[in-house]
Amino acid sequence: MEPAQTRNVMSQLRRGTVEYCVLALLRDGERYGFELVRDLSAVDGLVTSEGTIYPLLTRLRKDELVTTFWRESESGPPRRYYRLTDAGNAALDDFTKDWARFRDSVDAILSKGRR
Amino acid sequence: MITMDTDRLVDDYLRRLESAAAHLQRSRRAELVSEIREHIEAALREEDAAGEAAVRNVLERLGPPEEIVDAAEPPPTPARTGKLEIAALIALVVPFIGWLFGIVLVLVSQAWSRRDKAVGIALALAAVLLPFLTLAAGSEHAGSSPLPVGEQRAPLPEAGGGDRTSIVEVMLFAVIFLAGLPSALYLGWRLRRHPAA
Repeated sequence: MEPAQTRNVMSQLRRGTVEYCVLALLRDGERYGFELVRDLSAVDGLVTSEGTIYPLLTRLRKDELVTTFWRESESGPPRRYYRLTDAGNAALDDFTKDWARFRDSVDAILSKGRR
Repeated sequence: MITMDTDRLVDDYLRRLESAAAHLQRSRRAELVSEIREHIEAALREEDAAGEAAVRNVLERLGPPEEIVDAAEPPPTPARTGKLEIAALIALVVPFIGWLFGIVLVLVSQAWSRRDKAVGIALALAAVLLPFLTLAAGSEHAGSSPLPVGEQRAPLPEAGGGDRTSIVEVMLFAVIFLAGLPSALYLGWRLRRHPAA
Protein backbone atom coordinates (compact mmCIF):
# COMPACT_ATOMS: atom_id res chain seq x y z
CA MET A 1 0.00 0.00 0.00
CA GLU A 2 2.63 2.48 1.02
CA PRO A 3 4.88 2.46 -2.04
CA ALA A 4 1.87 3.16 -4.24
CA GLN A 5 0.99 6.06 -2.01
CA THR A 6 4.48 7.52 -2.31
CA ARG A 7 4.46 7.09 -6.06
CA ASN A 8 1.18 8.93 -6.23
CA VAL A 9 2.51 11.85 -4.21
CA MET A 10 5.58 12.03 -6.42
CA SER A 11 3.56 11.96 -9.60
CA GLN A 12 1.37 14.77 -8.32
CA LEU A 13 4.38 16.80 -7.26
CA ARG A 14 5.93 16.18 -10.64
CA ARG A 15 2.80 17.21 -12.46
CA GLY A 16 2.72 20.48 -10.61
CA THR A 17 6.37 21.37 -10.97
CA VAL A 18 7.51 20.09 -14.36
CA GLU A 19 5.80 22.93 -16.18
CA TYR A 20 7.87 25.44 -14.25
CA CYS A 21 10.98 23.48 -15.09
CA VAL A 22 10.01 23.90 -18.74
CA LEU A 23 9.62 27.63 -18.21
CA ALA A 24 12.98 27.72 -16.45
CA LEU A 25 14.67 25.96 -19.36
CA LEU A 26 13.31 28.68 -21.62
CA ARG A 27 14.56 31.51 -19.46
CA ASP A 28 17.78 31.86 -21.41
CA GLY A 29 16.15 31.85 -24.80
CA GLU A 30 14.03 29.86 -27.20
CA ARG A 31 14.38 26.10 -27.58
CA TYR A 32 12.78 23.59 -29.82
CA GLY A 33 10.54 20.86 -28.54
CA PHE A 34 12.84 17.90 -28.88
CA GLU A 35 15.69 19.73 -27.20
CA LEU A 36 13.48 20.76 -24.29
CA VAL A 37 12.18 17.25 -23.83
CA ARG A 38 15.63 15.70 -23.86
CA ASP A 39 16.99 18.23 -21.37
CA LEU A 40 14.11 17.59 -19.02
CA SER A 41 14.35 13.85 -19.23
CA ALA A 42 18.08 14.00 -18.60
CA VAL A 43 17.31 15.27 -15.09
CA ASP A 44 16.90 12.39 -12.71
CA GLY A 45 13.40 11.59 -11.55
CA LEU A 46 11.67 14.54 -13.18
CA VAL A 47 10.00 13.02 -16.21
CA THR A 48 8.91 9.42 -16.51
CA SER A 49 7.89 9.42 -20.15
CA GLU A 50 9.11 12.01 -22.61
CA GLY A 51 5.90 12.01 -24.60
CA THR A 52 3.90 13.53 -21.76
CA ILE A 53 5.83 16.79 -22.08
CA TYR A 54 4.17 17.68 -25.37
CA PRO A 55 0.68 18.00 -23.92
CA LEU A 56 2.25 20.10 -21.20
CA LEU A 57 3.82 22.41 -23.78
CA THR A 58 0.44 22.77 -25.42
CA ARG A 59 -1.10 23.72 -22.11
CA LEU A 60 1.60 26.33 -21.48
CA ARG A 61 0.92 27.77 -24.89
CA LYS A 62 -2.81 27.90 -24.26
CA ASP A 63 -2.16 29.67 -20.98
CA GLU A 64 0.02 32.08 -22.94
CA LEU A 65 3.05 31.41 -20.79
CA VAL A 66 4.98 30.42 -23.91
CA THR A 67 4.63 31.19 -27.60
CA THR A 68 5.69 29.01 -30.49
CA PHE A 69 7.11 29.70 -33.88
CA TRP A 70 8.64 27.68 -36.69
CA ARG A 71 12.21 27.97 -37.74
CA GLU A 72 14.12 26.28 -40.52
CA SER A 73 16.82 23.87 -39.47
CA GLU A 74 20.03 23.00 -41.29
CA SER A 75 19.16 19.34 -41.11
CA GLY A 76 15.66 18.12 -41.68
CA PRO A 77 12.28 19.86 -41.64
CA PRO A 78 11.42 23.13 -39.84
CA ARG A 79 11.22 22.93 -36.08
CA ARG A 80 8.66 24.25 -33.65
CA TYR A 81 10.38 26.57 -31.18
CA TYR A 82 9.11 27.71 -27.82
CA ARG A 83 9.75 31.07 -26.25
CA LEU A 84 8.83 32.47 -22.84
CA THR A 85 6.22 35.25 -22.78
CA ASP A 86 6.17 38.09 -20.24
CA ALA A 87 3.42 36.28 -18.40
CA GLY A 88 5.54 33.14 -18.44
CA ASN A 89 8.46 35.04 -17.01
CA ALA A 90 6.32 36.46 -14.22
CA ALA A 91 4.85 33.03 -13.45
CA LEU A 92 8.33 31.57 -13.30
CA ASP A 93 9.54 34.28 -10.91
CA ASP A 94 6.54 33.76 -8.64
CA PHE A 95 6.99 30.02 -8.61
CA THR A 96 10.71 30.28 -7.94
CA LYS A 97 10.04 32.26 -4.77
CA ASP A 98 7.15 30.09 -3.63
CA TRP A 99 9.05 26.92 -4.33
CA ALA A 100 12.10 28.04 -2.34
CA ARG A 101 9.91 28.79 0.64
CA PHE A 102 7.98 25.55 0.28
CA ARG A 103 11.11 23.47 -0.13
CA ASP A 104 12.77 25.07 2.90
CA SER A 105 9.70 24.50 5.04
CA VAL A 106 9.38 20.86 4.06
CA ASP A 107 13.11 20.29 4.53
CA ALA A 108 13.02 21.92 7.94
CA ILE A 109 10.18 19.72 9.11
CA LEU A 110 11.59 16.55 7.60
CA SER A 111 14.98 17.05 9.23
CA LYS A 112 13.40 17.99 12.54
CA GLY A 113 11.48 14.75 12.56
CA ARG A 114 14.65 12.77 12.08
CA ARG A 115 16.43 14.00 15.19
CA MET B 1 18.54 3.76 -43.21
CA ILE B 2 15.02 3.25 -42.03
CA THR B 3 13.80 -0.14 -43.04
CA MET B 4 10.26 -1.30 -43.52
CA ASP B 5 10.19 -2.89 -40.11
CA THR B 6 11.23 0.18 -38.17
CA ASP B 7 8.79 2.26 -40.20
CA ARG B 8 6.08 -0.07 -39.13
CA LEU B 9 7.10 0.22 -35.50
CA VAL B 10 6.70 3.99 -35.71
CA ASP B 11 3.45 3.74 -37.62
CA ASP B 12 2.03 1.31 -35.10
CA TYR B 13 3.01 3.59 -32.29
CA LEU B 14 1.42 6.62 -33.92
CA ARG B 15 -1.71 4.66 -34.71
CA ARG B 16 -1.98 3.61 -31.09
CA LEU B 17 -1.55 7.23 -30.11
CA GLU B 18 -4.23 8.31 -32.52
CA SER B 19 -6.76 5.82 -31.25
CA ALA B 20 -5.92 6.55 -27.62
CA ALA B 21 -6.59 10.20 -28.44
CA ALA B 22 -9.96 9.49 -30.01
CA HIS B 23 -11.71 11.60 -27.39
CA LEU B 24 -9.60 14.68 -28.10
CA GLN B 25 -10.74 17.39 -30.44
CA ARG B 26 -9.74 16.60 -33.99
CA SER B 27 -7.30 19.52 -34.28
CA ARG B 28 -5.82 18.77 -30.87
CA ARG B 29 -5.35 15.14 -31.81
CA ALA B 30 -3.70 15.97 -35.11
CA GLU B 31 -1.37 18.39 -33.36
CA LEU B 32 -0.37 15.86 -30.72
CA VAL B 33 0.30 13.15 -33.27
CA SER B 34 2.39 15.48 -35.42
CA GLU B 35 4.38 16.65 -32.40
CA ILE B 36 5.17 13.10 -31.42
CA ARG B 37 6.04 12.25 -35.02
CA GLU B 38 8.41 15.21 -35.16
CA HIS B 39 9.96 14.07 -31.90
CA ILE B 40 10.57 10.59 -33.23
CA GLU B 41 12.13 11.92 -36.43
CA ALA B 42 14.29 14.39 -34.53
CA ALA B 43 15.40 11.72 -32.08
CA LEU B 44 16.39 9.33 -34.85
CA ARG B 45 18.26 12.06 -36.70
CA GLU B 46 20.00 13.04 -33.49
CA GLU B 47 21.12 9.54 -32.72
CA ASP B 48 22.07 9.06 -36.31
CA ALA B 49 20.74 5.58 -36.07
CA ALA B 50 17.58 4.08 -37.34
CA GLY B 51 18.01 0.43 -36.52
CA GLU B 52 15.24 -1.40 -34.82
CA ALA B 53 16.91 -1.05 -31.43
CA ALA B 54 17.23 2.71 -31.84
CA VAL B 55 13.58 3.07 -32.83
CA ARG B 56 12.42 0.91 -29.97
CA ASN B 57 14.52 2.96 -27.59
CA VAL B 58 13.03 6.23 -28.81
CA LEU B 59 9.49 4.87 -28.51
CA GLU B 60 10.17 3.49 -25.08
CA ARG B 61 11.45 6.82 -23.86
CA LEU B 62 8.32 8.47 -25.20
CA GLY B 63 6.25 6.17 -23.04
CA PRO B 64 2.96 4.41 -23.73
CA PRO B 65 0.69 6.43 -26.06
CA GLU B 66 -2.11 6.12 -23.52
CA GLU B 67 0.00 7.89 -20.94
CA ILE B 68 0.74 10.75 -23.32
CA VAL B 69 -2.94 11.19 -24.10
CA ASP B 70 -3.72 10.98 -20.43
CA ALA B 71 -1.41 13.92 -19.82
CA ALA B 72 -3.29 15.88 -22.47
CA GLU B 73 -6.77 15.02 -21.29
CA PRO B 74 -7.70 11.89 -19.41
CA PRO B 75 -10.29 9.96 -21.37
CA PRO B 76 -13.78 10.09 -19.91
CA THR B 77 -14.27 6.94 -17.91
CA PRO B 78 -16.45 4.71 -20.04
CA ALA B 79 -19.86 4.24 -18.49
CA ARG B 80 -18.70 1.37 -16.37
CA THR B 81 -21.57 2.02 -14.08
CA GLY B 82 -21.91 -0.94 -11.81
CA LYS B 83 -24.97 -3.11 -11.43
CA LEU B 84 -25.34 -1.69 -7.97
CA GLU B 85 -25.91 1.83 -9.28
CA ILE B 86 -28.36 0.70 -11.92
CA ALA B 87 -30.27 -1.31 -9.32
CA ALA B 88 -30.35 1.74 -7.08
CA LEU B 89 -31.77 3.95 -9.83
CA ILE B 90 -34.42 1.41 -10.74
CA ALA B 91 -35.33 0.82 -7.11
CA LEU B 92 -35.78 4.53 -6.51
CA VAL B 93 -38.68 4.74 -8.94
CA VAL B 94 -40.50 1.79 -7.37
CA PRO B 95 -42.78 3.08 -4.62
CA PHE B 96 -42.33 2.23 -0.94
CA ILE B 97 -40.07 -0.83 -0.70
CA GLY B 98 -38.15 0.42 -3.73
CA TRP B 99 -37.49 3.80 -2.17
CA LEU B 100 -36.04 2.18 0.91
CA PHE B 101 -34.00 -0.23 -1.14
CA GLY B 102 -32.83 2.52 -3.46
CA ILE B 103 -31.72 4.75 -0.64
CA VAL B 104 -29.79 1.93 0.99
CA LEU B 105 -28.11 1.05 -2.32
CA VAL B 106 -27.23 4.68 -2.96
CA LEU B 107 -25.65 4.87 0.48
CA VAL B 108 -23.67 1.70 -0.12
CA SER B 109 -22.46 2.67 -3.60
CA GLN B 110 -19.11 4.33 -4.10
CA ALA B 111 -19.99 5.85 -7.43
CA TRP B 112 -21.47 9.00 -5.97
CA SER B 113 -19.81 11.62 -3.88
CA ARG B 114 -21.14 12.26 -0.42
CA ARG B 115 -22.76 15.43 -1.70
CA ASP B 116 -24.46 13.66 -4.60
CA LYS B 117 -25.85 11.09 -2.22
CA ALA B 118 -27.15 13.75 0.14
CA VAL B 119 -28.86 15.65 -2.67
CA GLY B 120 -30.26 12.49 -4.25
CA ILE B 121 -31.68 11.17 -1.01
CA ALA B 122 -33.02 14.57 -0.02
CA LEU B 123 -34.79 14.76 -3.38
CA ALA B 124 -36.29 11.34 -2.85
CA LEU B 125 -37.43 12.12 0.67
CA ALA B 126 -38.82 15.50 -0.32
CA ALA B 127 -40.71 14.06 -3.26
CA VAL B 128 -42.15 11.30 -1.12
CA LEU B 129 -42.90 13.31 2.00
CA LEU B 130 -44.11 16.57 0.51
CA PRO B 131 -47.36 15.25 -0.98
CA PHE B 132 -48.16 13.39 2.23
CA LEU B 133 -47.51 16.49 4.28
CA THR B 134 -49.69 18.65 2.03
CA LEU B 135 -52.35 16.01 2.15
CA ALA B 136 -52.11 15.89 5.92
CA ALA B 137 -52.32 19.67 6.07
CA GLY B 138 -55.31 19.57 3.74
CA SER B 139 -57.14 16.99 5.81
CA GLU B 140 -56.50 19.06 8.92
CA HIS B 141 -58.48 21.81 7.27
CA ALA B 142 -61.11 19.33 6.27
CA GLY B 143 -61.10 18.14 9.85
CA SER B 144 -62.99 21.31 10.78
CA SER B 145 -66.07 19.87 9.15
CA PRO B 146 -68.16 17.72 11.43
CA LEU B 147 -67.43 14.42 9.66
CA PRO B 148 -64.18 12.56 10.23
CA VAL B 149 -61.97 12.44 7.16
CA GLY B 150 -62.45 8.78 6.49
CA GLU B 151 -66.20 8.91 6.40
CA GLN B 152 -66.31 11.99 4.23
CA ARG B 153 -65.55 10.33 1.00
CA ALA B 154 -67.16 6.97 1.44
CA PRO B 155 -70.89 7.43 1.12
CA LEU B 156 -71.52 10.28 -1.33
CA PRO B 157 -71.85 8.55 -4.70
CA GLU B 158 -72.93 11.05 -7.37
CA ALA B 159 -71.97 14.28 -5.67
CA GLY B 160 -69.16 16.46 -6.98
CA GLY B 161 -67.23 15.45 -3.89
CA GLY B 162 -66.78 11.97 -5.31
CA ASP B 163 -65.11 13.33 -8.42
CA ARG B 164 -62.83 15.43 -6.37
CA THR B 165 -61.74 12.46 -4.29
CA SER B 166 -60.97 10.41 -7.33
CA ILE B 167 -58.96 13.27 -8.78
CA VAL B 168 -57.06 13.48 -5.53
CA GLU B 169 -56.54 9.75 -5.59
CA VAL B 170 -55.28 9.80 -9.15
CA MET B 171 -52.95 12.63 -8.29
CA LEU B 172 -51.78 10.83 -5.21
CA PHE B 173 -51.04 7.74 -7.25
CA ALA B 174 -49.23 9.78 -9.84
CA VAL B 175 -47.20 11.51 -7.16
CA ILE B 176 -46.33 8.21 -5.55
CA PHE B 177 -45.27 6.67 -8.81
CA LEU B 178 -43.27 9.70 -9.86
CA ALA B 179 -41.83 10.48 -6.45
CA GLY B 180 -38.56 8.66 -6.97
CA LEU B 181 -38.03 10.03 -10.44
CA PRO B 182 -36.31 13.36 -9.69
CA SER B 183 -33.89 11.62 -7.39
CA ALA B 184 -33.18 8.83 -9.89
CA LEU B 185 -32.71 11.35 -12.70
CA TYR B 186 -30.40 13.47 -10.61
CA LEU B 187 -28.28 10.52 -9.50
CA GLY B 188 -28.19 9.14 -13.02
CA TRP B 189 -27.04 12.48 -14.33
CA ARG B 190 -24.32 12.73 -11.70
CA LEU B 191 -23.22 9.25 -12.63
CA ARG B 192 -22.63 10.36 -16.21
CA ARG B 193 -20.81 13.53 -15.24
CA HIS B 194 -18.71 12.07 -12.50
CA PRO B 195 -18.20 8.40 -13.17
CA ALA B 196 -16.76 6.42 -10.32
CA ALA B 197 -13.15 7.36 -9.70
